[in-house]
Amino acid sequence: MAEEQKQAQAPSGAPRREGGSGGHGGPRREGGPGGGGPGGPGGRPRGKRQYFRKKKVCKFCVEKMDFIDYKRADILSQFVQERGKILPRRMTGVCSRHQRWLGVAIKRARNIALMPFAGSAAGTQAPRPVAAAVEAPKA
Amino acid sequence: MEERLYDLIFIARPATPEEEIKKVLSGIEHTCAEKGGKIEKTEYWGTRKLAYRVAKHREGIYVYQQIRTNHGELIAELERRLRVQDVVIKYLTVRLDEDLKRQKKLMGKREQRAARRPRRTPPAPPAPAAPEQTAAAS
Repeated sequence: MAEEQKQAQAPSGAPRREGGSGGHGGPRREGGPGGGGPGGPGGRPRGKRQYFRKKKVCKFCVEKMDFIDYKRADILSQFVQERGKILPRRMTGVCSRHQRWLGVAIKRARNIALMPFAGSAAGTQAPRPVAAAVEAPKA
Repeated sequence: MEERLYDLIFIARPATPEEEIKKVLSGIEHTCAEKGGKIEKTEYWGTRKLAYRVAKHREGIYVYQQIRTNHGELIAELERRLRVQDVVIKYLTVRLDEDLKRQKKLMGKREQRAARRPRRTPPAPPAPAAPEQTAAAS
C-alpha cells in the first residue's frame, strides 16, 4: 500500500516540483543574497548556521587569567594579524573585558618593540632576510 | 601615599659591553636610593629581535626591572636619565600595582563564587528558569 501511494505520488509530484522550482527559482535566488526571506530560504539559513556556528570561547576566561601581561609576546601574538593588527573579537571569540585588557597589553608591547605596529611588520620582515644574508658572508 | 609598583624595561644597543649595562643599572640603583625606591627584581633578557627598527637597530639587549616606590618623581627622574643615556635606545615604564590590585580582587571574587557554587547554582537557576519560560510561552 505504501509503495503504491509513493508511486502514485511520485509521478504527480515530480512535475509539480519541476514547476515549483521553475516558478520560484528566480525569487529564491534573489532572496538568498538579500538576507533571507520567509518560507523557502528559511531552510538555507538553518544549514548555514550549522556550518558557521562554532562556539568560540574566550581563551583568557578558560584559563582564568585576570591579568594579561604585556611582556608575553607569545600569547599576545595569537590575537594579532600577521602585520600586527589587533584581531577583532568576532574572529577570536575573546570576551569584551579581556579584549579591552588585551588591547592595552598589545599596545604596551608595541611600545617596547616586543610586537610590531600595524603595517610596520611588512617593512621590517622583508629586509630581515636581506640583512641576514649580508651579515652571513661577512661572518 | 601608598606604595606603587612599576615595571621598567629598557633596551640597550646590541653591541653594548656588559660593563656599560651594569653602569646603567648602578645609575638606576643610585637614583632609586636617592629618591626612596626599592628595586624588587632585575631580569636580564639578553639580546632579542626587535619587532621594528629602533635607532637603526634590529636587535637589542632587554633589561627588565620592577621598582617599588612611594614617590612618582622617582619614575620621572629615571626616565629623564634613561633618555640621556647613549646606550639606551628605548625604555618603558608601566605602573603595575593597579592592574595587580584588580587581579587580586577578581581572584578573590572567583574564589568566593567557587566556594558558593556547589551549594547554590546547580539547583537554583534551572528550577526557576524552566517555569518562567513555560509561563512566558503559555
